[in-house]
Amino acid sequence: MLTMYVVLALALGGAGLAVAAFAWSVRSGQLDDLDTPAQRMLTDELTPRGTDDAATRR
Amino acid sequence: MATAVASPAAFESAPPSAACAHCGAPAAAPADAELAFCCGGCAVVYRAIRSAGLEGFYSVRADAAPARTTDRAYRELDDAAFARLHVRPRPDGTSAVALYLEDLRCAGCVWLVEATPRCVDGVVDARVDVGRGRCDVVFDPARVPLSTVARHLDRLGHPVHPYRGAARDQARRKDDRAALIRLGVVGAGFGNLMLLAVALYAGVFDSMDAGDRALFRWASLAVGVPTIGFGAVPLVRTAWAALRTRRAHVDVPLALGVAVGLGWSTASVVRGHGQIYFDSLAMLVFLLLVARWIVSRSHRHAAAAAELLWALTPRRARRIDAAGVETEVPIEAVALGDRLRVLAGETFPVDGAVVSGRTAIDAAILTGESRPVGVTVGGRVCAGTTNVAAPVEVIAAAVGEDTRVGAMVRHVEELSTRKAEVERLVDRVAGWFVLAVVGAAAVTALAWGGATGLEHAMALLIVTCPCALALATPLAVTVALGRAARSGILIKGADALERLAVPGRMFLDKTGTVTVGRPAVVTFTGTAAVRALVAAAERGSAHPLARALASGDYPPAEVADVVEVPSRGVTAQVDGRQVMVGAPRWIAERCPLAPIQADLDAIVARAETPIAIAVDGACVAAAGIADPLRPGAAAAIAKLRALGWRPELVSGDAPEVVAAVAAQLDVPATGGMSPEDKLARVAAASANGPVAMIGDGVNDAAALAAATCGLAVSGATELAIEAADIYLRTPAIDAIVATAAGARATFTTIRRNLRLSLAYNLLGGGLAAAGVIHPLVGAVLMPLSSLTVLTSSLRSRAFRSPPC
Repeated sequence: MLTMYVVLALALGGAGLAVAAFAWSVRSGQLDDLDTPAQRMLTDELTPRGTDDAATRR
Repeated sequence: MATAVASPAAFESAPPSAACAHCGAPAAAPADAELAFCCGGCAVVYRAIRSAGLEGFYSVRADAAPARTTDRAYRELDDAAFARLHVRPRPDGTSAVALYLEDLRCAGCVWLVEATPRCVDGVVDARVDVGRGRCDVVFDPARVPLSTVARHLDRLGHPVHPYRGAARDQARRKDDRAALIRLGVVGAGFGNLMLLAVALYAGVFDSMDAGDRALFRWASLAVGVPTIGFGAVPLVRTAWAALRTRRAHVDVPLALGVAVGLGWSTASVVRGHGQIYFDSLAMLVFLLLVARWIVSRSHRHAAAAAELLWALTPRRARRIDAAGVETEVPIEAVALGDRLRVLAGETFPVDGAVVSGRTAIDAAILTGESRPVGVTVGGRVCAGTTNVAAPVEVIAAAVGEDTRVGAMVRHVEELSTRKAEVERLVDRVAGWFVLAVVGAAAVTALAWGGATGLEHAMALLIVTCPCALALATPLAVTVALGRAARSGILIKGADALERLAVPGRMFLDKTGTVTVGRPAVVTFTGTAAVRALVAAAERGSAHPLARALASGDYPPAEVADVVEVPSRGVTAQVDGRQVMVGAPRWIAERCPLAPIQADLDAIVARAETPIAIAVDGACVAAAGIADPLRPGAAAAIAKLRALGWRPELVSGDAPEVVAAVAAQLDVPATGGMSPEDKLARVAAASANGPVAMIGDGVNDAAALAAATCGLAVSGATELAIEAADIYLRTPAIDAIVATAAGARATFTTIRRNLRLSLAYNLLGGGLAAAGVIHPLVGAVLMPLSSLTVLTSSLRSRAFRSPPC
């Protein structure tokens, strides 16, 4: 019985933390643009000819 | 097509002989072993990309399209006034600016633009947002002027405009984030409620400790009330607004069901007995939020009028002061009565009267007329039209929003915001639904009587909460929108399809919509050998008719002694033969037209522009030049008729030209219409039923906005795209048919979804009224009905096959 109280509280507390983390990620703008990052990662490896990869990578 | 920019469709008429090195569109084969380009824009962009070492672009881009560049200097971006408005200084001495880039499409564009810091010294960072066409540039103003950055981006095929939607973006971003957080909170709450509910359901079959049961019920209450309460805020808000304005809306029965369910479940927990529905309600609210979030993401927001005007008219003007000195000034500084010089090839910045010089103007953007019009001193010119022949000086009579094009832009904005809402099928159903459910609940309560009656009536209200009903439209529409977008049909809002579902009258613009939008040789009576001579003789000319005659794949020939007589024709020695090509009247002065007179008469009768051809002093062939129909136009019109539409041509072009095209398509037509005429025609027709307008030019924009549903075709101007509800990115005219058929199929799916969800509600409601409902039945029925509707939507035939 007591176990049930503790586990339930833990589970709901964990869910609360997850929700808070999600809210933080939305507010910090990580989910504002869902299209461009998906395309940007396709070209991460590609660098313009004649530029030094390591020196110029952002 | 009403602009000077070539669309890929423009080249379908010429026999394709080579692929454009930049976009892959068919292009005329170059004379020597050089690369082929379909247009000047592609050539500039291709060379810019090569010289910057950005060839990687060609391996990562997803969709190729002809490029567009301007050779603007962008000096206005270095103005102090511009900097004050748009450039934000940053603490480390650099500055940040948001720019709007045209034609941002795919990963290739993202990479090309984001490589700017490596190509332009002094640029620190460039970040692209493809969806909004926005690029955030961080640069060091001490090392590089903004105009240099803009010129670099322009040469890559992305003409630059100041980003004016920052305030709108900010507001939208706030809404988006709030909706997403709501979705996350409700989703998490729903998941936990499910776990609690599973434990309770398990306890029904297994004996469960009364204490444990109470614990789980109270825990459900603790999670369910805040979750559902928070999630249902938007529902309750729209339901309340609908009730106050006495309109039927699907949110009314939803809000009712959720409120009753929440109240009843809470009461059950407090009393210690009775059924609870927290899990079902949370799922309902969660699914609704998901559906609406997806639909809202597919909405495109209209740009502000000022932004559109900016794109249509130049930002600088050459002002001539009393002493005759020419200075370049920003357009905002031009006052009425100022004297401005406009060079050949430039766009007029103001409405005004010509005071010196004579020229021809291309007014297609305003009137749709395909041929340039001559103007002399005293003649009127409009902002946005192009000076094609010679420099002229004009006195400004109207500037900015007071110009004719400015008024049109304002019109479009007004009409778009005022656009009447279509009565949505689901809302009509919802109105009846509320009455039926409340009536059935009352009957159930009375028939059973007392506490039992109340309990069964409550169960009925909750079980019939129309989750599937509310999902029926968003799911069908979202599936259709996604599929349509993949085949190049961009639909702006969820209701655009419902607007097009019921067929009525359909007005089609001629130039650029049913025709290619560029002159081409449609009749040629001579032999192939003569045709090759003509092409060779005309190759060097830039005149539109000459380019039509020169296009095609012919073996190289030796051309000498080319003499071009403006507006008359050309003479040349081709492979040693004397070739004359030109207006029949001009040719007649040199040799008798008799051999080809009958052909010329037939050509004139078809409203084509006649060209006579003489070789070695004798007339041997006649050519007819016209703006040819897009391939498949006649078949498409027939298919539209089969779908129940009544197509009709409206055009600003000369009535006889329009009549000739209409005769080929066998549709009624009106020519010589001003943009205002088109608007009046569409507005009058839409009073008597659904009207679809299909067009591409600035002159169609107001009519597109006024129609029940406006479609802008491939190659349309920015203003037409903004005004329309649907933008067809594929050049094939079949896309119009695919859109109309898809809209109808979507509507069929919506209707099927509504029927399915009503059937489930009938079943659940019947069980509840009979008093045999169990919370498990409710918990199974609700997701099952939503799943059924989802399956039905995915099976929809709408936009299944690509349109071409």
